[in-house]
Amino acid sequence: MSEKRKQEIQRIKELESINLARDEIRDLVIDTKKEVEKDNDLLAAQINDELNKRGIKSIDIVGAIGAGKTAILEKITEKLSKKYRILVICGDITTRVDADRIEKHNAETVQINTGRECALNAYHINQVIKNKDLFDFDLIFVENVGNLICPSDFKLGTDKRITVVSITEGEWVIEKHPMLFKMSDIAVINKIDLLERLGTNIDKMIKDACGFNPDIKVITTSAKTGENIDTLIEALEL
Amino acid sequence: MEKELKKIEKVISNLELNSQAQIQELLKNFLKTHLKKSKIDNFIGDYPTFIEPVYLNVNVKIGDDVLLGPNVYIGKNTEIKNYVEISNSIIFDNALIGENVKLNNCIIGKNTLLNCENINIDNCVLVGNVKTKEDVYRIMYKFK
Ligand SMILES: Nc1nc2c(ncn2[C@@H]2O[C@H](COP(=O)(O)OP(=O)(O)O)[C@@H](O)[C@H]2O)c(=O)[nH]1
Ligand SMILES: [Mg+2]
Repeated sequence: MSEKRKQEIQRIKELESINLARDEIRDLVIDTKKEVEKDNDLLAAQINDELNKRGIKSIDIVGAIGAGKTAILEKITEKLSKKYRILVICGDITTRVDADRIEKHNAETVQINTGRECALNAYHINQVIKNKDLFDFDLIFVENVGNLICPSDFKLGTDKRITVVSITEGEWVIEKHPMLFKMSDIAVINKIDLLERLGTNIDKMIKDACGFNPDIKVITTSAKTGENIDTLIEALEL
Repeated sequence: MEKELKKIEKVISNLELNSQAQIQELLKNFLKTHLKKSKIDNFIGDYPTFIEPVYLNVNVKIGDDVLLGPNVYIGKNTEIKNYVEISNSIIFDNALIGENVKLNNCIIGKNTLLNCENINIDNCVLVGNVKTKEDVYRIMYKFK
């Protein structure tokens, strides 16, 4: 590849959308987008092979800001850290607030601050596991940057993906985000301790998730009271 | 950490043909034991991507679309240009890393200016002031 083409591709990678591309470079933009996605998926597959070979189970968690991803991870690590050596990779735009919360429950954490990127990708995860002594861990969790849109473009090479929503986001939140539920193994509907107060139509949420993905396991939880956290842990099939 | 950095600085300021193993050991040891507890603090400025552990000394300047970490130390007043990627490396004070330079397992000496673009460097000590890619190969000390 010529230096010039490389630079052009580099520039295009930054474009948010092919709609922004000038007509004369539209094909190049599309090719580049495909290349980037293919590279990510390839790397994700390699990561998964590497972790499987070493007998490490891996799970990534996506969901909107405030849905309860970290709170759920706190509960899970609290219960599992006696039995497993756990590494939690936390993605956020900035700060290590979540990593600090999780570290209290005897899991090792690595914070990735994505700066301006709205999701983690396989390259980030690979950089972490390539430079860690994997013999130290049995279980890896990844908490993605909080949002329900970007993470659906990037597989991370984990065994299972959990998407977390909460009833405070309203009963339409699943209906409006089909992509993530199509590629998730488990859907968690969190904050059910607030159900009586909010009166959210939780049956509709469950129906929507199963409608997008008949194989998805839907689990309603409260990270506050701990309700159904054990059911969730069972569903991880460790 | 300061003491260990001083030691590394001394070794790279007087490179001999047979210092490879020593440098390898010093770098590995520094990244593994001294940097291990460095956690990302709030970094005020243009937000790059960080993978812990990363230690930034004071007054570091960082461009757009930069990926730092894991295992990176960056000294005082050092400037990192756009699209740079650095892992497993020590960059000493007052250095400059040019656009789209990728460093892995490297030590960049104090006041070193890599004033060039688009180059991939592994397992090297670099000390000096370069303006082109060719110059980089000239000052390169491969230790692995
Ligand atoms: N009532 C209630 N609050 C919750 C629950 N789970 C999380 N929260 C609260 O919701 C807020 C956001 O939770 P957090 O775990 O930081 O969400 P994240 O952004 O998805 O990681 C915090 O104030 C939590 O205490 C829950 O099940 N019930
Ligand atoms: Mg969180």
